[in-house]
Amino acid sequence: MGFLKEEDKEYLRNEFKKNLKREVELLHFTDKNDNSDYLQSSKALLEELVELNDYLTLTVKDCSDKAELEAEGLLMCPSTKIKSSRKGFINFYGIPAGYEFSGFVEDIIDMGSDNLPLPDDVVLALSKIDEPIDIKVFITSACPYCVKAVRTAHLFSLANDNIKASMIDAYGFSDLAREHNVSSVPHIVVNDKVSFIGALPEKEFLSKIMESIE
Amino acid sequence: MQFTLKRKSEEASSEGVKSHFEAAIIGAGPAGLTAAIYLGRSKIDAVIFEKMVPGGYIVSTDWIENYPGFPDGISGEELGELFEKQSSKFGVRTENVEVTGVNFKARPMIVETMDGSYTASAIIVATGTKSKKLGVPGEEELIGKGISLCATCDAPFFEGEDIVVVGAGNSGIQESLYLSKFARSIRIIEFLDHPTAERILLDRIKEIGKIELLLSHRVTRFIGDDRLTQVEVEKRDFNQKRVLDVKGAFIYVGLVPNTGFLKGSIDMDKEGFIKTNQELKSSKEGVFAAGDVRITPLRQVATAIGDGALAAFKVRQYLEGR
Ligand SMILES: Cc1cc2nc3c(=O)[nH]c(=O)nc-3n(C[C@H](O)[C@H](O)[C@H](O)COP(=O)(O)OP(=O)(O)OC[C@H]3O[C@@H](n4cnc5c(N)ncnc54)[C@H](O)[C@@H]3O)c2cc1C
Repeated sequence: MGFLKEEDKEYLRNEFKKNLKREVELLHFTDKNDNSDYLQSSKALLEELVELNDYLTLTVKDCSDKAELEAEGLLMCPSTKIKSSRKGFINFYGIPAGYEFSGFVEDIIDMGSDNLPLPDDVVLALSKIDEPIDIKVFITSACPYCVKAVRTAHLFSLANDNIKASMIDAYGFSDLAREHNVSSVPHIVVNDKVSFIGALPEKEFLSKIMESIE
Repeated sequence: MQFTLKRKSEEASSEGVKSHFEAAIIGAGPAGLTAAIYLGRSKIDAVIFEKMVPGGYIVSTDWIENYPGFPDGISGEELGELFEKQSSKFGVRTENVEVTGVNFKARPMIVETMDGSYTASAIIVATGTKSKKLGVPGEEELIGKGISLCATCDAPFFEGEDIVVVGAGNSGIQESLYLSKFARSIRIIEFLDHPTAERILLDRIKEIGKIELLLSHRVTRFIGDDRLTQVEVEKRDFNQKRVLDVKGAFIYVGLVPNTGFLKGSIDMDKEGFIKTNQELKSSKEGVFAAGDVRITPLRQVATAIGDGALAAFKVRQYLEGR
């Protein structure tokens, strides 16, 4: 049985058709020997998704392929990175389920187009950042506010590819969540140095990034 | 596993930049989305501003049983999604942006957002509320470090832990029921000598052995360095204080209206809830308020929906009568 309802597929087909201008690759790292519902579902969902538009492709690799993971700048598995010829590091550790799914779709569209729905002054400020920034956004899939924080982080990466931004399912990666003292989401960690809670507006999010540089 | 798909309204995806509308709705909760359905069906050129996710406050609750039409109950997430799906059908444009200011004196009126200004001839404020905090020492520092305002978001972090829920109204009890699926024990702290929640909810907490009600108690302090470890409570009248060892605290003690961005431009009570007449008109011509954000004796989905419909109807009359 599919995960997406027919009407949702229709909606997505239209959105992809209207917006995608280039190929987008969903690079999915998973444990091929793990038959858990969690991993199987996520792979099946991605398979369904890429069928909706010819520009979309899915590459599945195994978690044991450490060299590949590292080459992609990834730390953990399972993960899904959205790639295209557009610059930017948009990644999801764990499954973009629940509310995150909508953000995942928007990220695909952004990677496959030239969209950058951010205020001009934020884009300008981001473009001046010339050092590596790592943004981790811890979420739970039932959190309605988290997707906004994930989206903001991912858009920041599109505005400047010195910025790497990842969603992290705090439940699936509970050790890392504990290490970062996560008990409310969205919990955002910038460069493992500055952390804050909540889906802040873009400008305030930006100021947290600046704080991590200073 | 569920995958929630938010749709863009049909209008929004086909049209480019546009900054004047006949009507603007601020807030896409049940009240705002209902108003959007009515305005859209009347073919009034309208926009709805939402800073977070469409659906409003209900999306952060796990289960709703008192909204008619869903005899078996429905999750807040699903209900919010259905409201949005229905409202997006009728052509009202959605702008996912926070409204930061207004000018109700100008004609047309001005709505300022993080992405620039818009103008509108009529406005419905439907920005709802957020959780009230207790204002006790330790609270601000420990929010996000054991103190939470959203049970559905954060419950998994408290698996097998002892926690407190502050407030024994409907929200506090309902969310305690949800949290009981995760926590080892829950003490609900209530300042009054009786819980104010519906009886049906109170009966349910009795069935779940691990929930205890501490009536006539108030929280005086949250304790912990990097993480909440204890809550200090005081028994009313006796001035007896004691400390409870807990890992988590969820606060449901009331609501604060989301009206800061109005900066006093319309009449409100001292807490910031908007004053309206029976027709939901505010003190400024052309500005209406709907749902939890206004002074009203009951704040529920059912009442917000009714407000949204009435406000849209009054906006239509107002626009036609000018
Ligand atoms: C834990 C909990 C459990 C509940 N359980 C029930 C229940 O079982 N049954 C029931 O009937 N009701 C329940 N409620 C109450 C119900 O959620 C509210 O009555 C209802 O959501 C009110 O709708 P509204 O549209 O007036 O406001 P809200 O739902 O609060 O919507 C307001 C919207 O405006 C947006 N907004 C705010 N400020 C701005 C701004 N400046 N710019 C742009 N957008 C803005 C917000 O993000 C929000 O989406 C519960 C509430 C909570 C918190």
